[in-house]
Amino acid sequence: MTAGPPSHVDLLRGTLDLLILRTLLAGPSHGHAIAKHIQRTSEDLLQVETGSLYPALHRLEAKGWIAASWKLSVKGKRARFYRLTPLGRKQLTAEQSKWETFSRAMRLIVNPFTQEGQ
Amino acid sequence: MNPFFLKLRSLLRRRRKEEDLRDELQFHLDEEAEERQSEGFTSAEARGAARRDIGNFTLVQEETRAVWTWTYLEQLAQDCRYGLRSMAANKAFSLLAILSLALGIGANTAIYSFMDSLLLRSLPVSHAESLAVLNWGMNPAGRDSVMRSMSGSTWSDSNWKETGGIFPFPAFELIRTKSTEVFSSVFAYYPTRKVNVMVKGQAEQASGEYVSGDYFRGLALAPAAGRLILPDDDRAGAPAIAVLSFPYGQRRFGDVTSAPGQSILINNVPFTVAGVAPPGFFGVDPASAPDFYIPLHTNLLLKQRFGAGDANVYHAQNYYWLEMMARLRPGVSHSQAQAALAPVFHQWVDSTAANDRERANLPQFLVREGATGLDTLRRRYSKPLYVLLAMVALILAIACANIASLLLARATARRREIAVRLSIGAGRFRVIRQLLTESMLLASIGGGAGVLFAIWGIRFLTFLLANGTENFTLHPNLNWNVLAAASALSLLTGLLFGLAPALQSTRVDVIPALKQARAGQTGPRHRFWRVSLSQVLVAAQIGISLLMLVAAGLFTRTLSNLQSIELGFNSENLLLFRMNARQAGHQDPEIATFYSGLQKRFRSIPGVRAATSSDIPLIGEGTSAGPVLPVGAQPTPGRNPRVLTTGLDFFTTMQIPVLLGRAIDYRDQPGSTPVAVVSEAYVKTHFGDRNPLGQHLTIPRRPPLSEQDVEIVGVVANARYGSLKGEFREIVYLPFSQRSYRPVDDMTFALRTSGDPLQYVKTVRAIVHQADARVPVANVRTQSAQIDQTMNQEIILATLCTAFALLALLIACIGLYGTMAYTVARRAGEIGIRMALGAERGRVVWMVLREAFVLAATGLAVSVPLALGISKSVESFLYGVKPNSPAALVLAVAILLSAVLLAGYIPARKASRIDPMSALRQE
Repeated sequence: MTAGPPSHVDLLRGTLDLLILRTLLAGPSHGHAIAKHIQRTSEDLLQVETGSLYPALHRLEAKGWIAASWKLSVKGKRARFYRLTPLGRKQLTAEQSKWETFSRAMRLIVNPFTQEGQ
Repeated sequence: MNPFFLKLRSLLRRRRKEEDLRDELQFHLDEEAEERQSEGFTSAEARGAARRDIGNFTLVQEETRAVWTWTYLEQLAQDCRYGLRSMAANKAFSLLAILSLALGIGANTAIYSFMDSLLLRSLPVSHAESLAVLNWGMNPAGRDSVMRSMSGSTWSDSNWKETGGIFPFPAFELIRTKSTEVFSSVFAYYPTRKVNVMVKGQAEQASGEYVSGDYFRGLALAPAAGRLILPDDDRAGAPAIAVLSFPYGQRRFGDVTSAPGQSILINNVPFTVAGVAPPGFFGVDPASAPDFYIPLHTNLLLKQRFGAGDANVYHAQNYYWLEMMARLRPGVSHSQAQAALAPVFHQWVDSTAANDRERANLPQFLVREGATGLDTLRRRYSKPLYVLLAMVALILAIACANIASLLLARATARRREIAVRLSIGAGRFRVIRQLLTESMLLASIGGGAGVLFAIWGIRFLTFLLANGTENFTLHPNLNWNVLAAASALSLLTGLLFGLAPALQSTRVDVIPALKQARAGQTGPRHRFWRVSLSQVLVAAQIGISLLMLVAAGLFTRTLSNLQSIELGFNSENLLLFRMNARQAGHQDPEIATFYSGLQKRFRSIPGVRAATSSDIPLIGEGTSAGPVLPVGAQPTPGRNPRVLTTGLDFFTTMQIPVLLGRAIDYRDQPGSTPVAVVSEAYVKTHFGDRNPLGQHLTIPRRPPLSEQDVEIVGVVANARYGSLKGEFREIVYLPFSQRSYRPVDDMTFALRTSGDPLQYVKTVRAIVHQADARVPVANVRTQSAQIDQTMNQEIILATLCTAFALLALLIACIGLYGTMAYTVARRAGEIGIRMALGAERGRVVWMVLREAFVLAATGLAVSVPLALGISKSVESFLYGVKPNSPAALVLAVAILLSAVLLAGYIPARKASRIDPMSALRQE
């Protein structure tokens, strides 16, 4: 085990969905841009594997949380753009509050002295 | 949706999706590469890095694809595609299965379409459900009844010993005036029977219906042309008008709109065509489609011999002749109407009784459902159709059992395939669904072919049932109702024969099944259950076949008994046809000379060996009977002698031997002594051993004619007159020239010909046309056809049952053969060892045959008692053979066992030819 900050962290199971939904809240985007956005915003801590990104996108699409259509990218190339559906918006809120409850619980256990309200 | 299009659509959609995914990932790759390039890598390096970064391109594709959920439709399409492939891989099996299903489903569909048109279809009038048929029912306790005379038919059903729909006219008036609370309309009708209709100088026999003024209003019909009969048309003295049925109007006038206003002659009485009934309307009785409708009271103009000819019938309270229907008021049920009217009718009918004995037998008023019209046809055909339906259902059951056992055998062959599918993660339910889809596919194709087969079957059955009957009215067709039943049946059979094999073949232990090198080998653990299931199926097929063979035997025997009935006359080469000169305007006494003149001219046709005439043909059209008895004798109720009035040469033409005295001949003229010839049975009943010649008989006649005395001049051998069955009845033959019995009316001529009787029809028509163009020749047929027609039901049952039984036997044999062949293949190794150890060929043959016979014996053990029990239900169809006839049973068992021997011998022989070395090497 190494001390110090990790170069990147493994994604927890189920969090990829939340990340994708949260990314799309800003507006429609294609798969590559989503991956880059997550990577950049997490300061390169989170790396999204292509092998899990696309199955996840298609799964979310099948669930009706996001919808896809072919549009031209900024560079003028045909790309498959995903956008959040109303159902996905609702799902995002639910996932978000779930994540907050989870991370608060983690915080309480791992670092009891920085508890809120102290 | 059609599985083919479904398949196509999902195939296209899927291909599109795959392309999309490839494009999407390619885009990702390009973006990645571009990014690297902008970081300073060369194009090739960037590309390689991007590739590495994305990992296994195909795997990503695979994993993404795995996320796509299959819709049920897509899975169905997949299953169907797979099913079609596996069907194509087993062509012989698929063909056999589809063929037997097509026959089974087709036969069921054909019979069902008859049931549908017979039992379920409504009259083509609006709100048919509010129609009611008015009947009466009684359980007579004695002979006396208020129904002192009647014209029309009565029958018996489960509740009433005698029931019918004919009433006196005063009863019609009573119900019409007293029923306004429950009925919006009451109308009456009765058939005209055959009458002579002359249109534009062309004479033709036709039958119509006398209808009361409210008939068409009550049925709520609109005319196709002109107008229909109105209440004002139906009164004595109103102008005589007629309404034609649509097909008749079309046939006689070409265009129905040209018919109204035209004048036609009905029995020489002028009528004006007022209008034409709507196209689909066939009257209220599906058994008889009238050609025309005329007001009830015109019967006063036509003065027919049958039914009601004079004004008295409108007052007679004890003469039952008029049929009635009614339309219920909205919200009134049939039973409410009956409850309201039964007391009214009872009070009236009670007042018509003359004494207590009549009062004890009063008919009760009944209101029956009228939506499907009168049930004449139903009474005639529903029972034989039920028997046939049972037959075809059994055939389908055999076919299902057969396919199930073949599928079972095939499932064993597919164990490895199924084990592979299960082991790579297919759920058991998914595999069952796949197998069921395959059997459904088989059933659907079989059902589709079955409908085609049914179209042919319906035509064939119509031909059989009609059997030359004029205007046969039962015309079934493939409506939605029938098609829905056929497809439901197909799916049901698919489920039936597919489920057991599917369930069983998926109960596989994957590992041992995969380990087996050869498909088709089974571990001992499963053997008992599977073999016993397919054995049960084969035994069931054999059992059902036996039932059908027994039925076929009974019906065939009945038919041959009927066909070998002693007629008493020669029915070969005899041409029959009928005419009615009175309806064309001939009067007494000229009509008698007209008929005898014709007979003479028929006799002179080259090739006609003899010619004669009688008022009624001997077979098939009933009889005339009356108390024509030796002077002073008292009539026995219900046992009146039958009377036939004939022309010259009757006995020589029919070849009835004269035993004593002489036949009726040229001496018997209007002025000479009135004579009679009697049958042997008559002499036996009324004279015993005394010599009947010279004895006198009394003929009672209706006023104004007085009693007539006739002298017996001859005795002839017994002959059938009326029905074929039963003992010979007493017959009195009278010459029509002497008019000693009743007025000469219609006449049936009989010509004994050399060669085919039908080749003389043209000449006959020409002769009659020349004699009087107004007289149409009707009902032309040969005597043998006439006799066949009377045993129509027996012919149908015998023919179809034999065909069905052979079909069943064939299917069962195929099933047995399949099972035995499979057993032999499975036990090839064992048989090889036995033979290597010195078993003789005969022994091996016997070993396999024994198994076949054990199966047959099991089937028989169940079905022989069943056959004995069930055959009682067809007792009413049998003649001269007992339902539990041991001969029929033994014959059926013998046929079955020889078939089993045949089906079992082929695989048995194959088993005995197994080469021990190669069989053992395969192990």
